[in-house]
Amino acid sequence: MTLRRKLLEPAWLLHHRPWSDTSRILEFMTRNRGRVTLFAHGARRPKSPLRPVLRPFAPLLVTWSGRGDGGTLTAAEAAGPGPALGPAALLPGYYLNELLLKLLAREDRHEAVYDAYGVALAELATGAEAAALRRFERMLLDELGYGVDLTRDAASGRPLDAAGYYHFRAGRGVLAVRDAQPGPDCHAGRDLLAVARGDYGPPAAQRAARGIYGAAIAHCLEGRGLASREVMLAMRRRGREA
Amino acid sequence: MKYSPGLARLIEALRVLPGVGPKSAQRMAFHLLERNREGGRALARALEEAVANVVHCRRCRMLTDGELCEICAAPRRDAASLCIVESPADVVAVEQSGGYAGRYFVLMGHLSPLDGIGPDQLGFDRLEALLDEGEIREVILATNPTVEGEATAHYIGELVTRRGIRASRIAHGVPVGGELEYVDGGTLAHALAGRQVIA
Repeated sequence: MTLRRKLLEPAWLLHHRPWSDTSRILEFMTRNRGRVTLFAHGARRPKSPLRPVLRPFAPLLVTWSGRGDGGTLTAAEAAGPGPALGPAALLPGYYLNELLLKLLAREDRHEAVYDAYGVALAELATGAEAAALRRFERMLLDELGYGVDLTRDAASGRPLDAAGYYHFRAGRGVLAVRDAQPGPDCHAGRDLLAVARGDYGPPAAQRAARGIYGAAIAHCLEGRGLASREVMLAMRRRGREA
Repeated sequence: MKYSPGLARLIEALRVLPGVGPKSAQRMAFHLLERNREGGRALARALEEAVANVVHCRRCRMLTDGELCEICAAPRRDAASLCIVESPADVVAVEQSGGYAGRYFVLMGHLSPLDGIGPDQLGFDRLEALLDEGEIREVILATNPTVEGEATAHYIGELVTRRGIRASRIAHGVPVGGELEYVDGGTLAHALAGRQVIA
């Protein structure tokens, strides 16, 4: 068992749920061993030293024994102060966590995703919510092999015309609009090219990026919904009504 | 060892309680049957009545026998302040502190986006209706100092301030009688950020 002990692995806590009376089941994304589920015995006891440490959005060093997935957490400590996520950035942060939980296979190592997650949280902490989410979605899609090419027409293979209009079809790519009147789900070529360059400044480019990456992620989820997105939308609706 | 059907049913039923495994359930069952049958009867009656009659208070969602809980029904309680907590146990904890004379609202949980627990599940509709009644002047956000509790407090705070009502958050920091050396970094950072000027 000692040989199987993983010592001080850098990790982010993605989700936790209560288990039996005093314990927790924890979902971590670790830098070197990918996503693992661990059991933390006694972590919900009133005086447990793990209570203040095991928090989402804080960089951790975790030690566990047993098999990677379903092992037992034996120690956890904070690895530095981490991004100072304000309360308004928490919901988008949970959305990132849910993407990782639903799209990353267990024990599949993705160092680039791990590092990009830290960068995205730091960006969220500065208030740049839309750009942080889009950059992360794009990186995650690329890393999973579902990257979207926004520079070429998927049917003809020709470079996008900045003055043209295009549809996005998940699983296929960008297709030129043949109708004379571009519909509401059409994007201008210049906006798609801006998104491809990583420029989310223009509002139309931002809308296009949200729609396209959202559709590509929905395609990867194969019909599974995103609970955090529903909660985020419910909060926004309430905010508008008040 | 095979129990008789009645005993087996009792042991199995006792296991619904938190922290009660087969061994403890067996001990409880033997105790009730051998030493305290009257206590067992009283327990059965109390359980039956509580399960049938205890509901959530119409105003604050606290557990209560009638339509309104004692705190909401009491005319002496300060109707201008509302303390928002996560669970009925938190109401009991704040009450025992003796430092609060207002009313409560119990969320029965906290925002947990990954589990799909959002504003609808936490009774925000009822909370907003309470705020719109116009009696409340201050809302004290006493959700737990966890990431989820902070998120919950933040969003409720927005609903409250948008209506021109004061929202305050309970302080968190070094426990009374504690020693700085043993306090974790996060708590200490909060304690420093929330320091108060000595007048």
